[in-house]
Formats: sequence, C-alpha cells, structure tokens
Amino acid sequence: MAGRWQWFHRLGSPKWFYEKTTRWLPWLVGAMALFLAVGIVWALLFMPPDYQQGHTSRILVVHVAVAGTSLAFFPLMAAAGTVTLVWRIKLADMVAKNAAPLGAWFTFVTLATGSIWGSVSWGTWWEWTDSRLVSMLFQFFLLLGVISLRTAIENAETAARACALLAIVGCINVVVIKYSVDWWNTLHQPSSPISMQVGSPNGPEFWVATAVMIVAVYLFLAVSLILTTRNEILQRENKAQWVRELVAQAR
Amino acid sequence: MIDGIQFNSLSEFFAMGGYAFNVWSVYALFAVFLIANLALPLRRRKSILREQKRRLMALDAREDKARDPADSAGWEVSMAGDEK
Repeated sequence: MAGRWQWFHRLGSPKWFYEKTTRWLPWLVGAMALFLAVGIVWALLFMPPDYQQGHTSRILVVHVAVAGTSLAFFPLMAAAGTVTLVWRIKLADMVAKNAAPLGAWFTFVTLATGSIWGSVSWGTWWEWTDSRLVSMLFQFFLLLGVISLRTAIENAETAARACALLAIVGCINVVVIKYSVDWWNTLHQPSSPISMQVGSPNGPEFWVATAVMIVAVYLFLAVSLILTTRNEILQRENKAQWVRELVAQAR
Repeated sequence: MIDGIQFNSLSEFFAMGGYAFNVWSVYALFAVFLIANLALPLRRRKSILREQKRRLMALDAREDKARDPADSAGWEVSMAGDEK
C-alpha cells in the first residue's frame, strides 16, 4: 500500500476511529454543552422580541439551526456511501447506517417546530402547496426509505451499497429544499439577509444567537453520531482482541 | 435583574407574550430530541458491554472447565489451539 494512502486506510480502521473518538469525545461534549447553554439562554432570555413576531421569534433560533443542519445528512451519507462503493471501507458504512435515523429525527424536529411557529405567524400548521414544506417532508420519507432499505435487504453488503446509492440520489432533494423558497415562493420566506446594525430587524442580536445554536446543533450531531457508530463498532468487531480487552475492563 | 433580560418577571417569562404554548412546546421538543439522542446511545453502550462481558465470561468458564483434567478427559486435544 502506497505511503500517502496509509492515513486513508487507517482512518477506515474501526479501532483507529474508536481510539481517536475516545480522546475527542470529552472536548466535543464540553463544546456542545457550552454552545447549547449560551444559545438557549440567549434565545430565551436576552434576544429582544421581534418587531412583528414578538416572542415567537425565539422558536426560529431552534428551527433554523435544526433545519439547516438536517440538510447535511444526505451529503454526509452520500460521501460515506461513495467511500463504501469505491473503497469498501466498512467504517464509512457504519457512519452512514447510523446517520439515517438521526437524520430522520432532525427532519422531524424541523417539521414540528416549523409547524408550531407557522400556526401563529402564518395562521396555518401546514400548507401542501408550499415547496419548502413539501420537499422537507419528502426528505423525512426518503430517510425512512433509507432505514427500511437497510433492514429489507438481508445481505449486509448489498444493503450497504443500495443505501449508498439512495443517499447519493437523495442529494438532489437537498438542492430542491435549499432553493425551493427562491424557485416557487409561496408561503415559506427565503432566508433573510443579515444586518450588522444592532436594533435592525435582522441585527446581530438575532443572527449571532442563531449562529451559536447552529454550531451547538452541529456539535450535537457529531457527538450523537460518534456514540452510535462506536456502539456499532463494539458489536461488529466483537471478535477482535482489542474489543475483548475493552469488554473485559468494563465493570 | 441582569441587564439585557427581556422580561420583568418570571410570570412574564413563562407567558411569552401570549405564545407560551408555541414557544415552550418547541423548547420541550428540542430538549427531548437532544436528550434522547445522547442518552439512548449511552444506554445501548452499557447493555452491549454487559452482554459481551457475560458471553466472554461464559467462554472463559468453558475453556477452564475443559482444561481441568478432573472432568475433561479427552478434551485436551480440541483445546490445544487456545483461542486468542
């Protein structure tokens, strides 16, 4: 194996990943807790009420952060899927497999929080003619599709490849979600241009709180996905000597 | 009161300008979402480790028994290549 590719295959080793994440996890969890605390306290207590939405704008800090992050799942699963298809590195498939249910959670929370906000600001919980809402609902069903495809195909390697393909195709929908508000603007507003002016409708007191929450939610994604992937490693590699030693040390 | 807090009293904070249901249900859902996706993998990890440890100990016990010459005549050969 060529030297410059060694890092790539080492990255694909479950043992390497497990050991690295053991060291990273405390830092990731600490950063996540810090950003979450700052984001939530800021959004609930210190953000001024919006001049039109009043206190319901506090919902948008959570909604925008979770919604934006939910768009990362298909590109992530597609990247992992490509690695699975081309190099057959099993760690990539473990990540892709565990990303799907977490992505479904993200998409569900996006739909629910958006709906709860819309019931006040739009006067409706749901609108079938809105492209943003429907394409987001489609992402939820696509993710359920990826999850059931995994369980429906008995051969693990075939299942991994089928899920990889669906994840790659599913990326088209992410583009549709992203630009839906510009292409067929019905109800959901396009993203607002941010302003540097304190006191303006989109001033820093709103978007910095949202930015902090976006970082918090991305860190949460990383921590949760690392935890589930580590569980997967413990199960799939249970015959390996290093896992046995780890199990023996557990209380 | 700390400077910058947008509410004058605790009851005003809970009321959220009349949108208590909307604001608080979103934050409650957010909390459930965060806690579930951290606590469930941690619980799963514990059960995986417990189950594998039990299996490993059962395997060890079987090997020990096989190594004991008192009740394992004839088993030595099959256990010669002790599993790593």
